[in-house]
Amino acid sequence: MESEAQVSSISMEESSFEIPIELITEILSRLPVKSLLRFRCVSKSWLCLISSPEFAYTHLNIAANSKEYTQHSVILKSCPPDFKLKNCSLSSLLYDSVTEAFDLGYPMKKPWGYVRIVGSVNGLVCLVIERKYFLLWNPSIRKFKKLPDPRGGYYIMYGFGYDELHDDYKVVVISDRLSYNGLDHVGVRIYSLKSNSWRNIRERWSGKLPSMWGAFLNGKLHWTALTRSGIFYIDLADEKWGKMKQPCFGKGDFDIWLCMGVLGSDLSLFCNIPKTRAEMWVMKEYGVEESWTKMFTVNWPDDPVEYAFCPPFCMSNKGEISFWFGSTFMIYNPKDSSIRYREVTNRGVIYEADIYIESLVWPVFTKQTRMQQQRRLKKLR
Amino acid sequence: MAEASSSITEKFFLTLKSSDGDEFVLEESIAIQSITIKNMVEDGCSSSVIPLSKVDTETLIKVIEYMKMHSSTSSNEEEIENFDKKFVSNSINTILNILEAANFLDINNLLELCAEAVANRIKNKTPEAVRKIFNITSDFTPEEEAEIRNETPWAFEGNLDHSLD
Repeated sequence: MESEAQVSSISMEESSFEIPIELITEILSRLPVKSLLRFRCVSKSWLCLISSPEFAYTHLNIAANSKEYTQHSVILKSCPPDFKLKNCSLSSLLYDSVTEAFDLGYPMKKPWGYVRIVGSVNGLVCLVIERKYFLLWNPSIRKFKKLPDPRGGYYIMYGFGYDELHDDYKVVVISDRLSYNGLDHVGVRIYSLKSNSWRNIRERWSGKLPSMWGAFLNGKLHWTALTRSGIFYIDLADEKWGKMKQPCFGKGDFDIWLCMGVLGSDLSLFCNIPKTRAEMWVMKEYGVEESWTKMFTVNWPDDPVEYAFCPPFCMSNKGEISFWFGSTFMIYNPKDSSIRYREVTNRGVIYEADIYIESLVWPVFTKQTRMQQQRRLKKLR
Repeated sequence: MAEASSSITEKFFLTLKSSDGDEFVLEESIAIQSITIKNMVEDGCSSSVIPLSKVDTETLIKVIEYMKMHSSTSSNEEEIENFDKKFVSNSINTILNILEAANFLDINNLLELCAEAVANRIKNKTPEAVRKIFNITSDFTPEEEAEIRNETPWAFEGNLDHSLD
């Protein structure tokens, strides 16, 4: 770290910048990742700047707060067996009527059949392959890391998030190693990127089997059962479990299918009542159960909905909410309850989707990358 | 001293002097969008002319235009939005000059607007065009540059922009 700082200060003095480096940083931190990768070869001081982890986080912060979502992408997974991972621009999806999807260079060799998206944070996407192997991937810079085998058995739920306190990325898996009958027997394992290892979480918890995906918010991963019950969460910093109430969905014995997510900076539940309607609920004040608010109801069109779905959703700067359903993206306008459809070309039959930020963040340090960096810094000196 | 005949708060004026020696008189309430000027006013250094040795006349005119439009009382949101759009259509060199002035004068909104505008203008450009715009001479050997390019070949694909503006 020390030597890196030294190098960049020397190269700053030597270079003939008319524009001070802090202004170059202001400009570069507003560029898309692809441009930044291209501009690494502009000069040594630009390479130093763009390669530094500090810059990656400065860039991430600006990208995450962009009101137009210009640096956000949607990762799309098409149906097996012709499975492919693609992406398209979120801002284009929100503001243009037609959006093109592009193939993402999925890093593993085929056939890896059954791949699912675990989650995404800070531009890193976590995938699980055949419910067994986990892969950490930054699609924007095309770097990936295969996580060690958790040896946990068959996973029934999982989540991926960032522990800010320890500056660590963590994957949580819950597997039914012993029995399906009660969660007392369910094993919880947690992976830490810093230690590059899995370990068991001692604390037990009981409750109904929750949905597969965990929603990451406020340093915690949240799961909900598919039907009426509670919300379970684990704090990634102290690794303790907690529980919250779901909203009251109304009386009656109708089937519901719940999906947990994050809308803006609020915990949200997408409640699908098959063949009838869907409701979007938002917890306006985090942790305050009374603050669950129904944002809107979408009445499904005549065509009956056969399957429940788990949509990623987000709110545009105009207050419109985008979500996807089947293979279709929709934009819902709460003001007049209108729904607009978005065409995504080259998308295939979409099976899963998630939103990620295009970032330079790559917190994986192997012996090789360290040596590579040292070699380069030596050269720059 | 001007007499405050109505209930309207008395207006104070400041004189700003560019590096070319031109002087501009500006209402204090508008000028203090610049934190640098605001600090000078608060320290009582503003009774005479404020010399801005790092800002030339052309740039200062633009900065004053911006501050007038963005002062709290005069403009509505739509007007400001249209003004900003037109403002960033200036040449890259002009925007870079304004960016430096905004940094020196500590006007954060203007700094962000200009940084965003420059980023938008250069995002599809080639490294060669970027070097020219920023007046940078490459300090890589051809071999070093080729190695860096080979690490992310996809970043160099597509229709790249060679123009300098």
